[in-house]
Amino acid sequence: MDQVLQALVNGLLLGGFYAVMVLGFSVIWGVMGIINLAHGEYLMIGAYLGWGLFRYFGMDPFAALLLILPLMFLFGYVLQYVLINRIVERPHLMSLLITFGISIALANLFKILFTSDPRNVSVTYNGSVELLGITFPIVKSIIFGAALLCMLGLHLFLQRSRMGKSIRAAAQNRTAARIVGMDINRTYAVTAGICIAITAAAGAMLSPTQAIFPFMGPPLTLKAYTITALGGLGRIPGALMGGVVLGVTETMVSRFVPGIGTNLGVAISFVILVLILILRPQGLLGGLRPVDPEAE
Amino acid sequence: MGPYPETVRSVTDGSRPLLEGRGLTKRFGGLTAVNRVDFAVQPGEIVGLIGPNGSGKTTLFDCLSRLERIDGGRVLFKGTDITRASPHRVARMGLSRTFQVIRVYRKMKVLDNMLVSRRWSGDSYLRVMRSSSAEMVRRARELLEFLRIAPLADEPAGHLSGGQRRLLEIGMALMPDPDILLLDEATSGVNPTLIETIKDHIRTLNGQGKAFLLIEHNINFIADLCTRVYALNHGETMAEGTPREIMENDAVIDAYFGA
Amino acid sequence: MARVRGRLAQLGQGWGGLGLWWLLLAALALYPYTGVTHLTLFLGSQVFVLVTLASNWNLIGGMTGYVDFGHAVFFGIGAYVMGILVTKSPLLVSPEWGFLQALPVSGAAAAIFALLIGLPTLRLKGPYFSIAMLGTFVAMREIVRVLRPLTGGGVGLNLPPVLNRLGDYYLMLVLMGLVVSIMWWIRRSEFGQSLIAIREDEIGAEMRGINTTLHKILAFMIAAFFTGVVGGFWAWQNTFIDPDVVFIETRTVEMVMMSMLGGLGTVWGPPLGAVVIYVLQTVVWGRLFGIHLLALGILMVLLVLFLPEGILGTSGRGGGTSIVRLWGRIRKRSDP
Repeated sequence: MDQVLQALVNGLLLGGFYAVMVLGFSVIWGVMGIINLAHGEYLMIGAYLGWGLFRYFGMDPFAALLLILPLMFLFGYVLQYVLINRIVERPHLMSLLITFGISIALANLFKILFTSDPRNVSVTYNGSVELLGITFPIVKSIIFGAALLCMLGLHLFLQRSRMGKSIRAAAQNRTAARIVGMDINRTYAVTAGICIAITAAAGAMLSPTQAIFPFMGPPLTLKAYTITALGGLGRIPGALMGGVVLGVTETMVSRFVPGIGTNLGVAISFVILVLILILRPQGLLGGLRPVDPEAE
Repeated sequence: MGPYPETVRSVTDGSRPLLEGRGLTKRFGGLTAVNRVDFAVQPGEIVGLIGPNGSGKTTLFDCLSRLERIDGGRVLFKGTDITRASPHRVARMGLSRTFQVIRVYRKMKVLDNMLVSRRWSGDSYLRVMRSSSAEMVRRARELLEFLRIAPLADEPAGHLSGGQRRLLEIGMALMPDPDILLLDEATSGVNPTLIETIKDHIRTLNGQGKAFLLIEHNINFIADLCTRVYALNHGETMAEGTPREIMENDAVIDAYFGA
Repeated sequence: MARVRGRLAQLGQGWGGLGLWWLLLAALALYPYTGVTHLTLFLGSQVFVLVTLASNWNLIGGMTGYVDFGHAVFFGIGAYVMGILVTKSPLLVSPEWGFLQALPVSGAAAAIFALLIGLPTLRLKGPYFSIAMLGTFVAMREIVRVLRPLTGGGVGLNLPPVLNRLGDYYLMLVLMGLVVSIMWWIRRSEFGQSLIAIREDEIGAEMRGINTTLHKILAFMIAAFFTGVVGGFWAWQNTFIDPDVVFIETRTVEMVMMSMLGGLGTVWGPPLGAVVIYVLQTVVWGRLFGIHLLALGILMVLLVLFLPEGILGTSGRGGGTSIVRLWGRIRKRSDP
């Protein structure tokens, strides 16, 4: 019983991380209709930034977020303005190919810069606390809290701020938003900036918990996709739900099915994904935007 | 003389309807788009289907051509139950249709659009591994001639105007020499002269024994061509009769102009 | 200029294109007699591998429009079937001939896997299919790693080294000649036309009597079969396989890039793209270690932005091939 509870808590904590890691993917898809295959690479960049700031400046990965967020906002803003905005209105294939290209270029750029050796960030508070017979790893608990904070912040921004409202308007009807005089390109760039900043922050938070290497991205992209399929597009509670479902499933399976390593987590999320896509192509909660083959 | 064989293939005995729907029902979530609709098209008949926007006409077409899953009732085509058949099978049995939102293969040449729409039934897969037969090419060219878009044969279909694409779609629907054609707003976006041409084509083809089921907003078009008309409203059959009867029906007038 | 291009395109689809292709094959068959080194033969067979892979990917990705981001999974399956058969099967007569026995099995295994995975995934549209295949690829790598008794896990398998560079060269030459000829044939056939119809409008194709499921599965299986055969060949030639050298994203990226650069859905585009990328790789960025994929990624972004139809592809909108229009645009900008 205790083991089940422990696995459940571990899954829940993992799910919190998954939720914040998927936000950017889900919002970019929801707002621009782009499936961002370079998502995992933004996480990877964030993780490397966390590692670099820790290694060379002794900065705590969580404190480093204050630096990483604005830096990656700028990166995302420029990337969107220079590259992605040019293909937003072209067929889906083009956005898939361009983000695939970005993903490969980034992963290999980092391989050239930092080699493919795994890097680690070992923080001093790497222990755990015991509470009611259940172990809570400290770092993962902090991540969970930070994840909730990020989600709350993004939620308030989208609901309350003027820019957030423009973003939601652009998501619903690009043409109408343009007709009433919105600068769509800028709105998209801000959206991408925020999304990529949050994604990189998630990557930096990940850095104390697992090895960092240039090719860590694609499995994470795949997981982001699965969670989005589970929880729906651009919905923050959905992201949390999807993240927790995937997190709990993964920990449960690796804990209780003998002979399966955590390596197979990717395989599990893939099986879940394909099942959802086949049984409910519109996503588990019906929130996935149907991909219209006519869209040109 | 059109590009059709002189002899009309007799597909049904006179008594049985060519296409028949019994209690057809289609729901989208809580919305019942088509609600227990009964109808029949006899061989060689031209039947109209009218109704205000959102009355379920296109959904009914989608059910008949098997694009949409049918939630209740049955569809019979030539006496065969096709309620669960796959769309390509229904097409191969001799049911062709056009679409409200035009579907042509934009990057393929007009002629190739026609050629891939040929009748596929009865061929082994070895045949499909060869290129189109000279006979098919001739038939495609004759049909393009008939629809007066032959000069465009080598253009990509994406270059055509809306009206030309409608004609091409009709041509593609005719390629397999079907027994019934379902035309979904064949006249929308087409200029008045061309509408007359389409009308003539339908009459010619009907003279050769083809049945038609037409969704139309153009009332004159319906009145000139159809022997019978079904009027749909909120997914239900509101009235059935000759075009004149339908146009004088109070319920129909109410539905169109509001009570 | 545009008219010349148009004629070239017609020639490509007609018998002339195939004739030129066979002339080229004949020349390549005579090439070893001009006294070349083993290294040249090896590099030649590598180029043939690239051309064959690109052509195969183009069948499902370019003609049918199902952009497969995990096509290397079939390469990997072919390689592993070869590896397992050669090292563990008592049925093979001798290493050298056993290799030829195992080659079609590699292809068949990949084709059967394509059937099994294609039935669910080919029902998915557009990006959903692409990501499902990417997932299949990543998942398969992990599965191979776990199935240690059969695949050797992360340690991999060592195949008996039988060095026959001339044999390899001719084998790949024949395979490449065959695959490209088949693509030429498919492109002309009603089967190929139906595949393109599916790419342009799948619902429309189904509603007009094309059995879209069957067509997609067939195309997928053909593309998987030859990719599997190439994988088997590669495993044999490389004499060593492990999950990381076989299931490597690079392979898929190269297939996609070569097809795109040459022109999606064309017969001669992918082979041309393969040769261009090979030359770029060896001549331009070959001397800078590890830059190949970085360059490919950047090239892919540039292609999407400036030349989405590839070198030989024609756009549905403007006249002429897209590279002609790009050239026109550049010229217009340079003289104001």
